[in-house]
This record gives sequence, structure tokens and C-alpha cells, in this order.
Amino acid sequence: MGKKTLEIYSVELNGTKDVEQTDKQDGKERYRGLKNCFHSKKDHHTEKLKKELDLDDHKLSIEELEKKYGTNIITGLSSTQAAELLAQNGPNALTPPKETPEIIKFLKQMVGGFSILLWIGAILCWIAYGIQYSMNKSSSLDDVYLGCVLALVVILTGIFAYYQEAKSTNIMSTFNKMIPQQAFVIRDSEKKTIPAEQLVVGDIVEIKGGDRVPADIRLLSAQGCKVDNSSLTGESEPQARSSEFTHDSLLETKNIAFYSTTCLEVSTSPVGTATGMVINTGDRTIIGQIASLASGVGNEKTPIAIEIEHFVHIVAGVAVSIGILFFIIAVSLKYQVLDAIIFLIGIIVANVPEGLLATVTVTLSLTAKRMAKKNCLVKNLEAVETLGSTSIICSDKTGTLTQNRMTVAHLWFDNQIFIADTSEDHSNQVFDQSSGTWASLSKIITLCNRAEFKPGQESVPIMKRIVVGDASETALLKFSEVILGDVMEIRKRNHKVAEIPFNSTNKFQLSIHKTDDPNDKRFLMVMKGAPERILEKCSTIMVNGQEQPLDKSTAEAFHTAYMELGGLGERVLGFCHLYLPADEFPETYTFDVDAMNFPTSNLCFVGLLSMIDPPRSTVPDAVTKCRSAGIKVIMVTGDHPITAKAIAKSVGIISANSETVEDIAKRLHIAVEQVNKRDAKAAVVTGAELKDMSPEQLDELLTNYSEIVFARTSPQQKLIIVEGCQRQNAVVAVTGDGVNDSPALKKADIGIAMGIAGSDAAKNAADMVLLDDNFASIVTGVEEGRLIFDNLKKTIAYTLTKNIAELCPFLIYIIVGLPLPIGTITILFIDLGTDIIPSIALAYEKAESDIMNRKPRHKKKDRLVNEQLAIYSYLHIGLIQAVGGFVVYFTVYAQEGFKPSILINLRVEWEDSNVNDLEDSYGQQWTWYQRKYLEWTGYTAFFVGIMVQQIADLIIRKTRRNSIFQQGLFRNKVIWVGIASQIIIALILSYGLGSITALNFTMLRPQYWFVAVPYAILIWVYDEVRKLFIRLYPGSWWEKNMYY
Amino acid sequence: MVIQKEKKSCGQVVEEWKEFVWNPRTHQFMGRTGTSWAFILLFYLVFYGFLTAMFTLTMWVMLQTVSDHTPKYQDRLATPGLMIRPKTENLDVIVNVSDTESWDQHVQKLNKFLEPQKNDVCRPGRYYEQPDNGVLNYPKRACQFNRTQLGDCSGIGDPTHYGYSTGQPCVFIKMNRVINFYAGANQSMNVTCVGKRDEDAENLGNFVMFPANGNIDLMYFPYYGKRFHVNYTQPLVAVKFLNVTPNVEVNVECRINAANIATDDERDKFAGRVAFKLRINKT
Repeated sequence: MGKKTLEIYSVELNGTKDVEQTDKQDGKERYRGLKNCFHSKKDHHTEKLKKELDLDDHKLSIEELEKKYGTNIITGLSSTQAAELLAQNGPNALTPPKETPEIIKFLKQMVGGFSILLWIGAILCWIAYGIQYSMNKSSSLDDVYLGCVLALVVILTGIFAYYQEAKSTNIMSTFNKMIPQQAFVIRDSEKKTIPAEQLVVGDIVEIKGGDRVPADIRLLSAQGCKVDNSSLTGESEPQARSSEFTHDSLLETKNIAFYSTTCLEVSTSPVGTATGMVINTGDRTIIGQIASLASGVGNEKTPIAIEIEHFVHIVAGVAVSIGILFFIIAVSLKYQVLDAIIFLIGIIVANVPEGLLATVTVTLSLTAKRMAKKNCLVKNLEAVETLGSTSIICSDKTGTLTQNRMTVAHLWFDNQIFIADTSEDHSNQVFDQSSGTWASLSKIITLCNRAEFKPGQESVPIMKRIVVGDASETALLKFSEVILGDVMEIRKRNHKVAEIPFNSTNKFQLSIHKTDDPNDKRFLMVMKGAPERILEKCSTIMVNGQEQPLDKSTAEAFHTAYMELGGLGERVLGFCHLYLPADEFPETYTFDVDAMNFPTSNLCFVGLLSMIDPPRSTVPDAVTKCRSAGIKVIMVTGDHPITAKAIAKSVGIISANSETVEDIAKRLHIAVEQVNKRDAKAAVVTGAELKDMSPEQLDELLTNYSEIVFARTSPQQKLIIVEGCQRQNAVVAVTGDGVNDSPALKKADIGIAMGIAGSDAAKNAADMVLLDDNFASIVTGVEEGRLIFDNLKKTIAYTLTKNIAELCPFLIYIIVGLPLPIGTITILFIDLGTDIIPSIALAYEKAESDIMNRKPRHKKKDRLVNEQLAIYSYLHIGLIQAVGGFVVYFTVYAQEGFKPSILINLRVEWEDSNVNDLEDSYGQQWTWYQRKYLEWTGYTAFFVGIMVQQIADLIIRKTRRNSIFQQGLFRNKVIWVGIASQIIIALILSYGLGSITALNFTMLRPQYWFVAVPYAILIWVYDEVRKLFIRLYPGSWWEKNMYY
Repeated sequence: MVIQKEKKSCGQVVEEWKEFVWNPRTHQFMGRTGTSWAFILLFYLVFYGFLTAMFTLTMWVMLQTVSDHTPKYQDRLATPGLMIRPKTENLDVIVNVSDTESWDQHVQKLNKFLEPQKNDVCRPGRYYEQPDNGVLNYPKRACQFNRTQLGDCSGIGDPTHYGYSTGQPCVFIKMNRVINFYAGANQSMNVTCVGKRDEDAENLGNFVMFPANGNIDLMYFPYYGKRFHVNYTQPLVAVKFLNVTPNVEVNVECRINAANIATDDERDKFAGRVAFKLRINKT
């Protein structure tokens, strides 16, 4: 690391970071990737993009620029020129991405999932009616109605899903909001205000402090101009801007201000504005290009979407194969084709859980709501579960892991390093404050500082107050305010008589004060700055309040401390002072900062103070939790490797006892190449190194190291890292806040943006927004995601079960020829009526065991619907339910006169409307309508039978492994709401609507409601036994086959 | 970066399938070892065996609640339905006078239907009640329905084959059996027929009813069920259509007029009534 890097942290006193020096090497690489990406974009205007990026406008002189753009910096463009250019290049706005037309989105919902099957069912209905009609003009319209009902079901669920999807916002929608409304432009030698959209290349614009930059502009005159580029590059420091060309790269040079960044301040004299020439507008701006990069990244299918698709395939496969099988059976049993078609419809309707996808949506949105309460705002519903299956989190550093504000972390005085409290409120400062050195040091910190609190914030906690000043000075101000109390008061008492602000040439800041000691007439000169510069100016050092000559050993101690603090990734400042002798500098002495009529050498060195953007206090705990949940946390940052590593260490991304290859080399005093790479658990990789890696090497890196930090990465490299992780079959979460993060956020399986610090672009690209910017919220998200996955399993198992109970009647009907036990309409009333609320209620189920202690599920192995779940639901519980349903059905028929024996093969006569004297078991004769009515009673009975057993099914689905009694029968109150809803809906259908024949429900005798109860009990007991054996014999054949 | 999709060759797919069907390394057949298959089979044998037993048991218990003689409930049979004989596919009686075959099947059916029975001669005008009085009175006797009551439609010594050969067909109306139903509520009842619409009435022409007025006697009620009332014969009413307009489809509706039988159920078109089509084709 050595000296070079130390400098980085020592010189940035006023935030006027000297980009030239520090970023010369890395800077190019940082954006190289970005450029590459534009090149590789298969867009037809790739060439154009490339050309734009190779612009050399920043290198040109003003005259050359004027020539190039046909403008004049005094008079500006003429209106006609501007109009021409506007027509030629289009408005200065980001084009929204090609949106799928709403109608296409809507139609997609109409044909997705089970919809196709249901459409087939509906069409078959109409075909069946067509056949009937062609044979008999007066055939009943039942099939038409059924077809319409099926179509209606599809359309309604489609509208529901469409509505849910429409709620999630589009990435570009607030990119547009970032466009400044008005721009101040010089045209026709006149200053005028025009909408920023109408800016064209060559326009001369003026910017004030606080404005958003209206386009990419080349600055022509700017004094003390600072811009906030954080949304673009991730640098949280304000960046100085001037009219000088300082760097070859367009992206690094100081004379370019970028579209949509904020101009923080422009020094008031002489004009208070910065003037610039527009060089790029709209999509050709840098931010426009990143935006198109982000929207060019395809949205990955969420894991839960894949799972649901898989599940739909299973169910559809079962439906289609049983449908075709029985179509063939029906035809070979000499049924008419018409009948066979009607059977097919029944089988499809019985097999498809019509309400399930809507239920899943509701379940997800319930969890989303719950997460929103915990400050995780989910934009894309399916992303709710994604966090649960996440196996790698790629986290941005600034603002996510850290507080995104400089804070005093360490102090060095009296030859000792003291630790300052860096927690969010600084409340616990424990270092020794009794030393005389501290008294002096604190005075320098307080006085040699230009930052001030904005007035009127007395009631606001110190750490939350708004400060005017740059990041380091703010940190020092707050630090001293916390420890010493009213800083402004202290400054007032120590009146400032002269001041030299920081500049990058002398690298120090100095001020001269009258002291608050009335007996001491001396002036106090205080100075802070780059430690080595400060030390150079000193001849003495203060130890325990006493001045001592600065000898070699103390200088050595200084260097050790400086290196150590620098090695922690902290920015170090040196502090010194000097009491000016009263005889030479009497009270009336006039200090002249330009003539420097006062000494600036042989000062007394007081101490060092180092600052860092400290980690949020909740982060280390959250990282540990992620670890124990089997989630790998990778840091991906644009920041320097040393800082990145230091933060990674302090939050546990690199754990205390793991070393990088470099660490090992240093410890063993051997060359890096000699170290056995397997010994290192951690790795710090810079963007420059990453650039040279092949995808295979990256894969190797990602698999071999469990703790990885990527530093100095570009937006494109972030994408590459995410893709690399995804190649490992990992589900990747990316957190970030800047515009530069947005492509990676989009690419990730789940992008998580910071709600407070995050840029709009990041929020738009993300699937989830952390409203409190708190990494710990992610842990909540993981927990909720895992819970929802488990609970969805339960919901699906619950829902699938009754499908067999609905299907069997059809199969028996076809083969044995019983009167139809349950009608299609009735089935729909189960699927979309009684079962809906209970299946949603399962979403409220608490976790069975500590879900945060198990590994994330394997994307390809741990399926939502696995073989065991399908078999157990279909062939075990489903069959019990079918048998139970049949018992109710037979009971109704037998007690009304048709004993089971007579029902066999009765179908043809039973359904013949011309047979109006069908004999029952007792010799009584039934008209067709009387039979039909009995058939509907049978439907109702079967329906009630299924409903009663679904109550038991609901209860057993509460757990998959534990006993219901371990889980608590009454802990989830919503389950009981669900059960109540089932019963109430069934009661209404039977007794309330029993007289509406179109619904095929009749009033059922009360006792029939209890016929299926023994089977409900059987289901419960059977499942308890299953779970008992699973718990008793883990890993056994039983568990392998019975645990879903 | 394009994630390369592994494309499997056809041979690989076949190989994978082969391995799925029989994996020689792990001795797995269709993904399971022999023991596992044995367990599975045993499990399902026991499970489904148990389920069958449970089903049988519950069905047996349920059937205990059902009597052999009378149904537990008769919720749907408050109104007995009416039917015609001969029984045809769409309730349309089509007679081609010249074409023997077209009516021969009707005649066969009717002959069979009207086979003579030996039953009691009961006192007309009264229900023939045979209460159990604590002891099962079993089997119950049935009242004789004498074919001669059907007059011209009795088919006895009838060379016209119930009139089918002459284009004056007999159609028999019968009322559905309902156990313990006291049809007519102690008042006499009869069957009447009309053409459904005005033109039908015109085309229908004259007809005669047997027994006279289409009367149904109370003595045939109540019905005690198949088990008790072994030889029960249903009372019949015959309608002989004398001069139906030939080659026209005529809609005929017959209904029973009885105090306790409603014939205006909108949904059940056969409750206490019957509608059929009559067509006599003459060349």
C-alpha cells in the first residue's frame, strides 16, 4: 500500500480532491468498462454512442468550441440555429425505453399460467354446444354458460394479475423527474429562461448553486464550483469544477459538468453563476447512456416466477395427460365424442387450481405489506421471495454498509492512539480527555474549522443537524460539539482575526484567534492539514500537555501512528498550533494572509485525528446473521481498496481471523506469488485486476474465496460480478444507491436500493427499496422471503389436494357410469370460493423452526413443488378426500332412494331427459328434473364433503414437520378466519342460494354436513403420524418420501 | 457475457433416460433401488388397503341407516310425473300406417307392457291401504288392473294392433309410482289431453279415453314399494286418437287432474303431466 495511498487520504482536506493525482491510474479503468459496454451494445446507434464518448470537447479551447458548435459564448446561439438543432437532435430528454404496450401486457396475463388450459376448456364448451346444437336445435345452453364462466374466470384473474403488475413502476418513470424544469440560457445575446428540454448542443447556459445541471456541459467560467456526482460515480465527496482542462478523460476532467448532477455551490464573487456550453443533450449525455445501459439489461425471471412456472407445468402436465388418457378411454368405451369432450372439460376444470395464482399474488402482496412496515418497500411483488433464496449479496459500501458521512474514528496524541465512538449518535466517547494535549487539540479542532451549523436547529440531535461545510469539517464540528458542547460559543469567545482556507497547493488550513483567557494576550495560531505537511512545519511536539522538542523517536512514533491509521483506510489529519509571542504580535497587530506576516514554521505538533465513513452499527450483526443463514456477502464498491477492506473487516465481511493472500505474504514475509492461494479465505480485488480476468478466473475467484471485496469497480464491472455470481447458480442480491449501481441492480435477481441516500435511477432499477437505508432490513427481508417460500409450499399443497377430490368423481363417472357426483360450476365454487381465504391464511403461519439457520435453498434442487409434495397431496390426502366425498354422495343418493348398487351404469338413462319414469331402488319412478335436482343435491353433498375435509387439510398444512400441537393450533388466528369463511360460504351457497338452480346448489339436510367428518379426522391423524415418523427417523426412507 | 446453454445431444438424452430406467451403478430402477420400490409398494398396499377398508366400513354404516323397504326421504317426489307408452326415444309417436315396421315395435312394447297379471280385485273408489300395525305385513297385495278396462285399447282380440295399423293409435298414460303417495287426496282423479296450441288442437281431432273420462281409481294407491308390493300394477289411461290430421306433427299434452298433484311446475315439465308428439304418416 505504502506511501502513495497514504497520500490519498491525507490531502483531501477541503474535499477538493486532487483527481489528477489519485485517479490517474484507476480512473481510466473505472470507466473503461462503461465504455466497453456501450461498444458492445447491439443497439444500432452504438457507433454514434462511441463517437460521443470519444468527444474531446474538454480539451478544446473556447474558440475551437465556438467554431465546432457554431456558437458564441457572449451572444449564444441564435433562435433559428437552436430550433434547427432541436429538430435535428431531438429534445434534451431521456427517451423512455420501448415499453410493451399495455394491451400486450394484458394479453400476456390472459394466456399465461393456467389460462391457456381454461381457454381450451371454454372453447371445448362452445364446441360441445355447437355439436349439440347441430344435432338438436333446442339443446340446453348449459355448456355455453359454462364456457362463459370459464372465460370470465380467466379474464378476472388476468385483470387481477395485470393490476398487480401495473402497480410496480417502470424504471424510466422517475429518470424523467430528474430533468430540471428550467434552464437559464443565452440566446440571441439575451439571457432567457427556457424549459431544459429545449436545450441544444452549443447553448450557453448559466448555473447557480443548488441547480441541477441541465445537460452535459463544458464549463467556460466557474469559480469555487462544486458538484455532487455521487449519483453518477458513487463518490460521496463534492467534486470541484473549474474551467480548466485537467484530465484526458472526459469523465475525469474538471471542466465538464454532467447532466442531472447537482451543482452544490458556486462562489458568490464575481457573478455567482457558472457558465457552460452544452455539449451533449438527452440520451447522448453520460447519464442517458447509463440509463440506456440499465434498461438494456434484461430483467431476470425471479426465482419464484421460475418455481411457479415449474408448478404450472406439473399441474398442466397432469391435467393434459389425464385429460387425453380419459378422452381415449371414453372413446374406446363407446362414448360419443361429444360426451368425451364434456369429460375433457370436466377433467381440465377439476385439475386446474383456478384460484391459486391469485392466491399466490395476494400472499406475496401481504408479505410485501408486512415488509413495508419493516422499511423494506417491495416494488416487484415476486421479489418478496427472492431475498429468501438469495445466496449471495453484493453490497455497495457507501451509504449501505456505512453511514455515508465522515466521522472521527481515531485520535493520536501523547503517543497513543485513542478510539472515538463512531456509532450513529457518538454518545459514548470513552477516550482519556484529562490530558493537557487533548485540551489543546480540542481547541484546534474547534477553531480551525469553517463549518457551521445551520441556525435554528437547537432541538435537533447533534448528529442530525444540517451543517454548512464539507464532509471532514462537518465531522470535526460534530465531534467537537458532542464532546465540548457549544462550539459556536467557543469560537465567539476566541475571536478569529485571520484565516487561510485550505487549498491544494499548501495543503493546510490556518486561522489566528484571540484567546478566551483574558490574562493571555497572545494570539493563538491553529493549523490543520496533511500530516506530513504539518509535521514539516513543526519543531516541537506536545506530550501530556508539555511541549517537547520533536526528535527522531517522536517523529518515528508519528509515522507509525500515521501508517497505522492510514492502513485502516482512514483519512488522517494533522493538527498543530503556536502561541504567537505577545511582544512581536501585540493585540493591535494586523495579520495579512496574503503577505503572510506571521510565522508558519517551528510550530508545536499536537496530534493526529483520523476520520472514516464508519459502518452502520447494525451492519456487523446483520452480516453475521446473513453468514449463519448461509448467505455470502460480497462488497462491491467504487472506493479505494484500503478503505473497502477496512470497512469490510469492521463489518465482518472479512471476518476477524481470515486473511487475504497479501496479508499472508506480509505475515510470512514472502512474496505474494509464493503464498498458497488455498490458505486465504478472503480476497480484495480491484477493478484493474478484475479487468484482466477471464470469466473462468472470476468464477474461480468467486468459488474459492468465501470473503471477497471488490474495490474501484465501474458500473460495467459490477454487472460482470453479478453475472459471475449468477453463473454459480446463485441467487444474487445487489444493494446500491448510485446511478452507477443501476445496471447491476437491474441485472441482479433482486436489486435493493437505498431509500434515503439512493438516487432515483437506482430506486427505479431496484426491485426493493430500503426505506431506512439499513442493511439490517435485508435480514428481515431474507427471513420473510424464506417464510413466504415455506408458506407458499403449504398453500400449494393445500390447494392441490382437493383437485384429486374434484377429479376422481369425473373419472368414476366416466368409468363406472354413476350420476355425476360433482359439477364443474361446483368445482369452481370450491376453487374460487371456499378455498381462497384459507389458502391465503396459510401465509400468516409462523416459521416452524429457525429458518435463519439453514442454508439458502438451491435454485435447481429445492423446488417449490417437488415430487413429494405432489404425490402426498394427490395420492394420499387427495385420495382420502375423494373417498370421503364419495361417502357423502352415496349417503345422499341412498337415503333418497338410489342405493349405490343401482347407480352403477345408470348414467345414460339418468341423463336422458326423455326418460321420466326412471326407477330407483324402491320401485319409485323419477322424472328427469327430479333426478337432476337430486344430482345437484349430490353436487352440494360432495362439495360439503370436500369442504369439511379441506378444513382438516388446512389444519395439517400448518406444519410440514412439527406436530400441530407444537406449532399451536390457535396461534395463527387467520386460519380460523379461513375456516369460518369456508363454512359460511358453504352455508350461503347451500341455504342462501340453494333456490337458484343455475348455480346447481340445493339445500342440504343438516346431517349430511357431518358425514365426511370421520375422513377429516383421518386426514389429521394420518398427517400427525407422518410428521411423527419424519421427526423420529430423520434421513430415513420415510422422510425422503413423505417430507415435502 | 452470454451464459452458454448446455445443449444436450440426442444420444445424451437417450443415455440419461437409460440411466434413469436402470442405473447399474446404484442399482436403481426408475430412480429407486429395489428396497425402495418394495417399501413403496408395501406402503401403498397398506395405505390403500386401509382406505378401502375405511370406505367399506363407512358405507356399511351408512347403509344401516337405509331401510330395504321404504326410502328414508322422498324430498323430490312430492309430485309424481306422468309418462306415456309406447316409450319412444324423444317422446314422439310416429306411425307410418303403410309401413308395418314403424309401429310394430310400439306394438311389441305395448304387448309386453300390458301382459296380464293376476291380482286382487279391489273395491274401487277407495285407497287400498294395508297398514303394518306393528307387524310387517308382507308382501302386500296389489289390485288388479283389468286390461278390459282399456276398451278398444286393451289389445285383446284386436286386429288393428292398438289401432296402429289403421292410423288410430292408442297412447297409454301412466303415473309414476311414489311410495306411500295418496294420489287424489281421496277424491277421484282423471287424465285429460289437449293439443298444446290451437293448431295442435285442430289437428288432433277426436280421441277417446279408456277408462271413461280417463279416470284413475284410488284403489291402486298407495304404493308400498318394490319389496312389499311385489305384483303392483300401475293404473293406466289409454287415449285413442281417432282422426289425427295425417302427415302433421301434433303436440299433445296430457295432465292429471287430482287434488294433491300440481301440474304447473315450470321447471319440471313432467310433473303431473306429459307432453308428446304424434305424427301419423299416410300416403
